[in-house]
Amino acid sequence: MVSLEVKNLSKTYNKKTVLNNISFTVNDGEFLSILGPSGCGKTTLLKILIGIETLDTGEIIKNGKNINKLDPSKRNMGIVFQNYALFPNMTVLNNVMYALNIKLKNKKEAEEKSLDILKMLNMEEHLNKYPHELSGGQMQRVAIARTLALNPDIILFDEALSALDADNKLILKKELKEIQKKFNTTMIFITHDQEEAFSLSDRVMIMKEGNIEQIDTPHNIFNKPASDYVKRFVQDHLVEKVRSIEKCTGIDL
Amino acid sequence: MQKRSKLSIFIFIFLLISVVFPLINMLLQIDFSNNSFQNLITSGSFREAMFNSLFVTIIATIISVLLAFFLSFTLNRTNIKHKSILKLLITLPMLIPSISHGLGLINLFGTNGIISRIFNFNIIGSLGIIIGSVIYSFPIAFLIIDDGYNYIDNNMYDTAEILGLNKWQTFKKVTLCYLKKPLLSSFFAVFTMIFTDYGVPLAVGGKFITLPVLLYKEVIGLLNYSKGTMIGLFLLIPALISFLFDTFFKDYTNSDGETKKYHIKPNKVRDIITSIGVYSIIIFIFVLLGSFIYYAFVDNVVLNNNFSFNHINYVFASGITDYIFNSLFISIMVAICGTIISYFTAYVTARVKNKFVKILHLLTICSLAIPGIVLGLSYTISFNSTFIYNTFAILILVNIIHFIATPYLMAYNALQKVNPNYEVVAKTCNISLFKIIKDVIIPCTKKTIREMLSYFFVNSMITISAVTFLFNTKTMPLSLLINNYEGNMMLGEAAIISLIILIFNVIIKSSIYLLNKKDNRREYIYEVN
Repeated sequence: MVSLEVKNLSKTYNKKTVLNNISFTVNDGEFLSILGPSGCGKTTLLKILIGIETLDTGEIIKNGKNINKLDPSKRNMGIVFQNYALFPNMTVLNNVMYALNIKLKNKKEAEEKSLDILKMLNMEEHLNKYPHELSGGQMQRVAIARTLALNPDIILFDEALSALDADNKLILKKELKEIQKKFNTTMIFITHDQEEAFSLSDRVMIMKEGNIEQIDTPHNIFNKPASDYVKRFVQDHLVEKVRSIEKCTGIDL
Repeated sequence: MQKRSKLSIFIFIFLLISVVFPLINMLLQIDFSNNSFQNLITSGSFREAMFNSLFVTIIATIISVLLAFFLSFTLNRTNIKHKSILKLLITLPMLIPSISHGLGLINLFGTNGIISRIFNFNIIGSLGIIIGSVIYSFPIAFLIIDDGYNYIDNNMYDTAEILGLNKWQTFKKVTLCYLKKPLLSSFFAVFTMIFTDYGVPLAVGGKFITLPVLLYKEVIGLLNYSKGTMIGLFLLIPALISFLFDTFFKDYTNSDGETKKYHIKPNKVRDIITSIGVYSIIIFIFVLLGSFIYYAFVDNVVLNNNFSFNHINYVFASGITDYIFNSLFISIMVAICGTIISYFTAYVTARVKNKFVKILHLLTICSLAIPGIVLGLSYTISFNSTFIYNTFAILILVNIIHFIATPYLMAYNALQKVNPNYEVVAKTCNISLFKIIKDVIIPCTKKTIREMLSYFFVNSMITISAVTFLFNTKTMPLSLLINNYEGNMMLGEAAIISLIILIFNVIIKSSIYLLNKKDNRREYIYEVN
């Protein structure tokens, strides 16, 4: 079952084409990464998908329905930001409960559900802490919990791991995979980091200057790069990997 | 998006009615066709007033900025103790009307002043205006320069040391370079303040007439509005220059990055010398304010020096409580309405990006370019046939517009620092815009909101310029009584009014200070790269 379909989407800002007639689909329960350097149009695409930016031409179809003009609140999509966007004046529990309260209109139920999700993300020790008392990784867990609590069909991640240090990034990557399995939520992960994209995703979409260069499994992208651009992109990534192994092991490869 | 655009259109219309319309309407009333404009600028009284104004303003501005620079240097670059208390004391003169500074000088150095009587001199005239203007304006210059010090990165000093620059070179290349904008902008701000103020010259000027006093006398004494407007044009010029400078002078040294705090080296001699300077200034401020207490409780300063409640009894017998009520009512309403309007304007301009928003921003801060006395005049001319004339509403409105720029900029800066993604999160979670503003954005900026409330309140309590043509017997605020009493040589009564205003402002200022200190939890503001 197709969860999200984008057809012939274009967007122009001040005569500059940011997205050039792009089409792709995201399957139900899939983890798709959108990878590309800054300025390739990935953030604009995310804004259009979530509904805070309008599109010029094209269609976004979710579960068979055109959602071009649907209000962001009715798209049932969640978003997780690089800078967390946690409410600094609320505790961890209240951050998660705040929107849920409005949705469920039942405080007790909202609290129970929030507690469940926070426990699942190993945050039960920190329920009454404020965001400034947490580490980056913990804050991002709260942000994920806040989004998950509302049961979205699709969660969009905007460079969600980019602000974390290497250790936290590794832990959170693992957890993201587990969450995805547990909730079977479709995830669209925007990043400029090849390592993140290739290690997390079912499929990776490589973008360049508003166009899709290739969309495929990490395996196929490595083995059958669709263009010179992708080839160079992948090669750079491999060279980087080899270098880091060399650095760690001291062996000259 | 819809709610935000409705809000911005509403604000735009409000600013059109309350800023653009009265000003343009006033300017259109000037008749350049006949010779009245030429007659004015060639007349002896105008030329004399213009010369007098420029003379006292230039001298007072230079002294004021130098004094402010010395004070901000001492509080930022020496190991003087109790810095935060000293800072509060330095800014005490901002809590009383400008006319009270003139009054304080009369008490001390006037014809029968406490000090001048002993040495047989007086400072009525240009000297008095210069001293009064300096006291009235240096705290503002101090705050601007003091803030500038926060942006100087200590790494610059370390680099200078490594490069082998000597003290003077470092001062020139680092400190002055960073303080160029604050120094220039305090110069313009103070120049405008002094050039357009009529409180100090009215009190201590004597026969030395300055431009704003000439305007005041033309309008109040002779009801000559057209001549007043033409003089007002000249008062607009420095304010306009100051505004254009502040808006368009780009400051490349102000980085958004973190600055390392300056490491102050120990130097006893420097600390002692600067301490003597700072404490002498503070003592002078206290002597000036103390003179109010002396005049308030001494029956007759010239004749008997007896302690008495005569002045207080007189003031209360003549219905002071009504005026206190008027002032408090106006100031509280200005604080509440002004804060709401400037906060929501700042919300739109800081968090929505389009060209229309830039117009709103400029319209809101352009009130900086309109001196209070000119704004008041334009309101008299433009609204005298409307229903709000002769009511509290017009006094509240004129004060909001007169003071809106500074609190607006406070809110603008604070709201820009609040995480820009809250609204997006709210949208995807089906939380309404006003709910997220109420539950998250307002709590994140509550310290700024308190500062805004206090700024509006204090300034509405002390202002005389914007309201002077707009009050009637029922709506007259307290500050204008000072002029009445002083004009009748009832210095004791005038001193009591100044004290009452001071007390209310100290209460408000210190409660806001304590409240903000109490929840000085800086985590509320998230800096976003």
